[in-house]
Amino acid sequence: MKSLDKEEQKSKKNGKETKQSPVFTGNFESDLKKVKDLLGENSDILFRKFRLNNTKLKAALFYLDGLSDKELIDKFLLSSLMKPFSETDKEQIKQDGLKDFLKNNVLSIGEIKESDEPEKAVIEILNGSAALIIESVPEVLVLGIKKPKTRDLQEPISEPLVRGPRIGFTENIKDNTAILRNQGQNEDLFFLKKSVGERAKKQTVIAYINGIANQDLVDEIVRRIDKIKIDFLPESGYIEQLIEDNFLSPFPQIQSTERPDRVMGALMEGRVAILLDGTPYVLIAPVTLSMLLQSPEDYYERWIPATLVRLLRFLAAFITLYGPSLYISFISFHPGLIPTKLAISIAGSREGVPFPTLLEAMLMEIAIEILREAGLRLPKPIGPAIGIVGGLIIGEAAVSAGIVSRIMVIVVALTAISSFAMPQYSLGTSLRILRFISMLAASIYGLYGVVLFTLLFLSHLVRLYSFGVPYISPWTPLRMKDLKDFIVRGPMFLMKSRPVLLQTKEPRRKG
Amino acid sequence: MLMNNRNKITTVQATIFTSSYILASGILTLPRTVVAVVKTPDAWLSVLIGGCIAIVLGVIMVKLSQCYPGKTIYQYVNILIGNWAGKTYGILLVIYFVVLSAYEVRTLSDVTSYMILEGTPAWAISMPFIWIGYYLLQGWITSLARLFEIVFPISVAVFLLVILMSTKSFEMDNLRPFLGEGIQPVLKGLTKTVFAYIGFESMLFLVAYMEKPEKAVKSTIFGIGIPILFYVITMVAVIAALSIDGVVHRTWPTLDLIRSYEMKGLLFERFESFLLVIWSMQIFSTFCITYFVAFLGISQMFNIKTQKVLLGLLPFLFLISMTPRTIDEVFSLGDILGKSAIILFGFIPLPLLILAKWKGRVR
Repeated sequence: MKSLDKEEQKSKKNGKETKQSPVFTGNFESDLKKVKDLLGENSDILFRKFRLNNTKLKAALFYLDGLSDKELIDKFLLSSLMKPFSETDKEQIKQDGLKDFLKNNVLSIGEIKESDEPEKAVIEILNGSAALIIESVPEVLVLGIKKPKTRDLQEPISEPLVRGPRIGFTENIKDNTAILRNQGQNEDLFFLKKSVGERAKKQTVIAYINGIANQDLVDEIVRRIDKIKIDFLPESGYIEQLIEDNFLSPFPQIQSTERPDRVMGALMEGRVAILLDGTPYVLIAPVTLSMLLQSPEDYYERWIPATLVRLLRFLAAFITLYGPSLYISFISFHPGLIPTKLAISIAGSREGVPFPTLLEAMLMEIAIEILREAGLRLPKPIGPAIGIVGGLIIGEAAVSAGIVSRIMVIVVALTAISSFAMPQYSLGTSLRILRFISMLAASIYGLYGVVLFTLLFLSHLVRLYSFGVPYISPWTPLRMKDLKDFIVRGPMFLMKSRPVLLQTKEPRRKG
Repeated sequence: MLMNNRNKITTVQATIFTSSYILASGILTLPRTVVAVVKTPDAWLSVLIGGCIAIVLGVIMVKLSQCYPGKTIYQYVNILIGNWAGKTYGILLVIYFVVLSAYEVRTLSDVTSYMILEGTPAWAISMPFIWIGYYLLQGWITSLARLFEIVFPISVAVFLLVILMSTKSFEMDNLRPFLGEGIQPVLKGLTKTVFAYIGFESMLFLVAYMEKPEKAVKSTIFGIGIPILFYVITMVAVIAALSIDGVVHRTWPTLDLIRSYEMKGLLFERFESFLLVIWSMQIFSTFCITYFVAFLGISQMFNIKTQKVLLGLLPFLFLISMTPRTIDEVFSLGDILGKSAIILFGFIPLPLLILAKWKGRVR
């Protein structure tokens, strides 16, 4: 600890020293030294000394290997900077001064900034810009020639649709904001830039639609993001965990998505999106439980099939939560409540199974969770194969070995498939966790345990907020207007108002 | 942060709040207690009239509360009748609510251990129940209202379904003759049926927390109207299926009605489990409301930090719920509660209202 403290003090001292050191002076050698001292001995920073346009003035160009556009530097920058000045040029220089002449007539680059502080110039260099130091000019010209490393736009892997745009976000924030801009001309789409991270700064963008989103909501999100104190943000999941309302809840309180259309839809409802450089996952807040059960496709399909699919999803969520626990409570506590024939056939299939129902269910559930996890982590080509083969073989073998009953396998498999039907992976995970709690409750109290679990589960949900919006709305507090888009996806002519609880500046949609 | 009125409830929520409060243990035993007094098939009429009286009483309370906007009875009764008398009334209310709350827990553990969990000790049934209530109440009145808003519609749907399926075993003769012995027995039944609507007093507290307190009358009428509908349907169904002689001799006539039929060809053949599920959720609602109101009283009258009161009440609830030894003692506790409710909420609010109006006029 002590040594750490010392180091900190040292670095603070260093910081002070560099701050004390004056701004660029125009003295070439000392300016060069300042920048070099700040940059240290980094192998990926290149610098090129040359004589400016065949005059006696010395100049140097700093840039980052790999991140700056080398082709641009070679073909355009250096060539134009080394070409001799003509007579008319010289006269012009006398009129304008060297710096302005270079900016106006020589450097054919869109993004040019001036910087008189070495520290700022160095940050720009590290971001991928090139810095041009010229003798007798007391400022450094920062040239925006960053060529970001990115991949092509691809279909989002984690949220595929049958119908809908095939485009997904990428790791590059500039691409992502561009994709959002590209969704339609909208001068009200605001991007608020922030850089977060104490040691390694990273760019985040808070996107919202001015004139729709509630200003208090935007302010609150900005406030929470400003409060983030962390060395480095690898992924937007960090932001999610640092700004969510309740860290003890099993439910995701912020939605993360790879789909631009989903983000755009949320923005148009008056929500706010948070983009982070370096990840294709964009955060949407505030979120409600029903949003996590919806898919953009619900709106692309006609309303009748879309509604049916939604009902199916609610059923799937119910099965995920209650499937095994209802089975346990009916089999081991209340066999009298199910039809006699069914009870007999279940009892018959359980004959020879040495374990109580809970243990039987737990065995299978844990086995299938392990299979799922293994399928995820394996290399892509063999993942699904292992999952299917493992599931089939283990299930079949477990039944024939008499460890579990056939009906148990059906229940477990149905539950697992239901949890896959959740359009948001994170929701499926939380329901899976809760399922184990409900199984335990059912094995202690039977049906009464299921009731207790439900009450606990609902008590938690009604107490949960996401940025001031009740998590379980629009179910409750009941707003009739919002029910058109809850279990039922109403026909388009009904979709004329935004969710009431978001308190948007303009509650009605145009048109 | 969007402030979606964290401490206020909507009109719909207030309505459901009142209905949830009223509908609880009564629905399983009501047919027996009423028929035992009325002794004619017109018992359902008595339930209907009792409900109308309850509405009148409820509206009186609303009017009283509207005289003091933003204040609950604990706060305004002091202003109205002086510090000492007000405190006394407030403390009586708190005691009543604590005991009622414990009574609900006890009913739940009795019925559950009798019906579905034979041999499970009562403490094991009631403890998790109380703890969950404690957890919910930390979210204040809005959480309560929201939970009811979810649970109540489900309860209504399941209840209607289960009762409607029992029409198979109806004997219309059991309902006749209509008013064969005149109106006298029906009126005699009122002494029991008004008890069944205990819960209409919720308006003494709710108005203070409503987004639109001016709509409180409406939500009282609907809030009591829904239970009236429930009770009348239950009475008619139970009497039609079991006949008045059959009703008197059963401890839980409504449950027996549901048990009396089977539906072939469905996933479930018997439905009493459904009834028990929604019924225990309704008990939970009533339990939470009384628990909440009791703790509200203590914290508002004595200015104590709310969290401490909430936790401090827990052992009392548990111990009181364990006090009655037999089921008969539980029922007689229920009787005492009913009588004190009539005194506390039947007779006192009207003079208070007149006093409040008179004071208002003087001012």
